[in-house]
Amino acid sequence: MKLPRSVLLQVLSRSFLLQASWNYEQMQSLGLIYALTPAFRRYYSGAALLAAYRRHLEYFNTHPYLATTVIGAVLKLEEQAQHGIDPGFTVGEFKSALVAPCAAMGDAFFWGAMRPVAAVVALLWAFHGSLWGPVFFIALFNLPHFWFRVQGLIKGYGGGVRVVSTLQRWHLSDWAICLKQVLVVLLGFFAAVIGAAATDNLDAGIAWGLCVAPLVLGLCALMRRRVSPLLVVLVLSLLLLSWFQLH
Amino acid sequence: MFFPALGVTVVVAILCGLDRTAAGQFMICRPIVAAPLTGWLLGEVAIGLQVGAMLELLWLGRLPVGAAIPPDDSQVAVGCTFLAIMSHAQTGMPPQAVAAASLLISMPFGKAGQLFDRLARLANARLLNKAELALDSGRFEGLERFHLRGMWHFAAASLATLTVVVGGGLLCLPLFLKYLDGPLVAAAPWIWLLFPLAGIGSLLSGLKVPRASLLFGGSFVLGLFILALR
Repeated sequence: MKLPRSVLLQVLSRSFLLQASWNYEQMQSLGLIYALTPAFRRYYSGAALLAAYRRHLEYFNTHPYLATTVIGAVLKLEEQAQHGIDPGFTVGEFKSALVAPCAAMGDAFFWGAMRPVAAVVALLWAFHGSLWGPVFFIALFNLPHFWFRVQGLIKGYGGGVRVVSTLQRWHLSDWAICLKQVLVVLLGFFAAVIGAAATDNLDAGIAWGLCVAPLVLGLCALMRRRVSPLLVVLVLSLLLLSWFQLH
Repeated sequence: MFFPALGVTVVVAILCGLDRTAAGQFMICRPIVAAPLTGWLLGEVAIGLQVGAMLELLWLGRLPVGAAIPPDDSQVAVGCTFLAIMSHAQTGMPPQAVAAASLLISMPFGKAGQLFDRLARLANARLLNKAELALDSGRFEGLERFHLRGMWHFAAASLATLTVVVGGGLLCLPLFLKYLDGPLVAAAPWIWLLFPLAGIGSLLSGLKVPRASLLFGGSFVLGLFILALR
């Protein structure tokens, strides 16, 4: 039985609540059940539905934005199992094999690259008091977010086990590295903007802004030695306050 | 003014707290969005934007990977915006000074957010156990309800963090502003620059990118050159 678009839309909308009951024991397992339910109610009833729930109430943890890819593939495999097609492994085995790579790729791409890039772009506007900053942040971050959620479900449900090749074709790890390089460039430019603002504060020539680079590198070295950024900010702010109190 | 503003702040805090993990994850919870949103609803969007811009990068490198819980910068952003707006209305101090003061005072209280978030996740494990028991007894109607109930735990954790941030701020901020108002006004433009600088350092320290020093140095010098030409 092929799932109608309305059911897939329900699954997609429920995937936004995947982590509502996130816990340390099985992480997103109840969320997975919640997302799968509209489709499962089409596939099964009574004891078969109970067995399907039991099958999937197990450890599940992946990146929330790429979870639809796994969910789509799981739905396809359940559908194929109903038609007696045996892929040579259980749905649980396939799911376990797919969640870790999706988590790693999603974490590197979304949390490690896309989010900081969107944040620095937003800050370049917000730093000058422009409200476009938050708007750019939401737009820039959520465009790939929505695209991957929707495409993940479409490709996962359309392809079943073949979704693995789709994931490879997306080259998310390569994109993450490229975006991180863009991030470093943006951070350099943002540091220059801060340097220019500092010279404005001092009424000094903009060349003095170059002093910001060693300061940033010094802070970076401190934080590489696991010094908390919060502690650094508090101590330096106290030093600044003491300086202005004394002078 | 105080209680209606606090009510609005609580609503934004819960919305952001849910967005952070439990629902959507549209990143409304990031300080650069949450703080201006709070500021806009309280009629002082500029103060919100300043708080958000100062805080955004500081903990951005702490990733919510696996079971790791980063410090709750969403509640710090929302709570500090509220505190800064209230202080600005009461003392008439410049927005930059009150934003800096509220962040310096309340940020350490934000560490409590990790504890409350952890408690919410532990409480969610009880929901899972209930769901398993329900399945064992052949009942599956309640599964979805158990799952959605987890959102209450995350909402409660957000509220608890906000209470600590705002409560701590309300206790300490008046003293801070009373004794350090002069130096604070003079130091605020520098503290305003210090926060994003520390954020840049923090982000760079966690990045493993080939030729990072070259890329950073090149874009920094080029950026300064472009700004000098303006």
